[in-house]
Amino acid sequence: MLDKRYMISDGLAFFEERDMKKLSKKAAKGWHLKRFRFACYELEKGDSEEVIYNIDYRKLRATEEEEYFELFAYGGWTHVCSSTDMHIFKAAPGTTPIYSDAESSLDKLNRLAKPVNLVASVALAITIFLWIFMTFTSGTIQYIAQQGLTYSFIFTVPAVMTSCGVYYHMWKNLRLRSKYE
Amino acid sequence: MKSLEQLTDSVFYIMAALTEPRHGYAVMSLIEETTKGTFVVGPASLYTIIKKLVAEQLIQLHDDSDSRRKVYVLTDKGREILLEDIERRKVMIHLAEQGLQRGNI
Repeated sequence: MLDKRYMISDGLAFFEERDMKKLSKKAAKGWHLKRFRFACYELEKGDSEEVIYNIDYRKLRATEEEEYFELFAYGGWTHVCSSTDMHIFKAAPGTTPIYSDAESSLDKLNRLAKPVNLVASVALAITIFLWIFMTFTSGTIQYIAQQGLTYSFIFTVPAVMTSCGVYYHMWKNLRLRSKYE
Repeated sequence: MKSLEQLTDSVFYIMAALTEPRHGYAVMSLIEETTKGTFVVGPASLYTIIKKLVAEQLIQLHDDSDSRRKVYVLTDKGREILLEDIERRKVMIHLAEQGLQRGNI
């Protein structure tokens, strides 16, 4: 039997919690997160373990890394893996979540929103550009624009949805906060 | 930072701990000990708040010789803001205490 398995992310912007819970369930069955890239988690076979996972988004300078990971270690969170600016940690069930207050978890979403919105706006701009091009040209150019438009949807639709996901969480977070204050 | 005018409990605890030079890790354990574990600051929240307080010049790096445990301390501006918030909190407590006392008579 292979000792490696892959799990596809449901889309972190929308389903971060669901992804983390799924990883916990896998760990209980002996499949542990090894690393992740893009939307794919690589799991490795090991002993069954009760753990919870949390993810943080943060751009770290080389001089900041040690302090950052040390704080998490002290808080009971073991660093599992990082991919670009995303860092996944695991801890025993019941450990205080890495974000303990509404204010700083909203900051996390704000940090996430920047690159996500940039990608979505560029993708959207290209789509609109191609659509205008398709409408006002004819013949071969129109055909190329048409094909391009079809392909651009493959990127634009998920990019815009991701953006919406982040805003959905911000809205949820703000609502939660106003309830407690 | 929105919480500047009115510090959140997390920010208040962290600033209170940094009235003396401390590293992040010591801030976490001081808060946990003082509150007997009823108030715990998560590591990502602590890191975010420290970065923000540095950016707002309410705390400053005191000693970075150990890159794993950088030591921070409140600035003069930070002291001022903390004192203002203490006054704000005193008003709340005063109101509640007085009300309770009157209610006892």
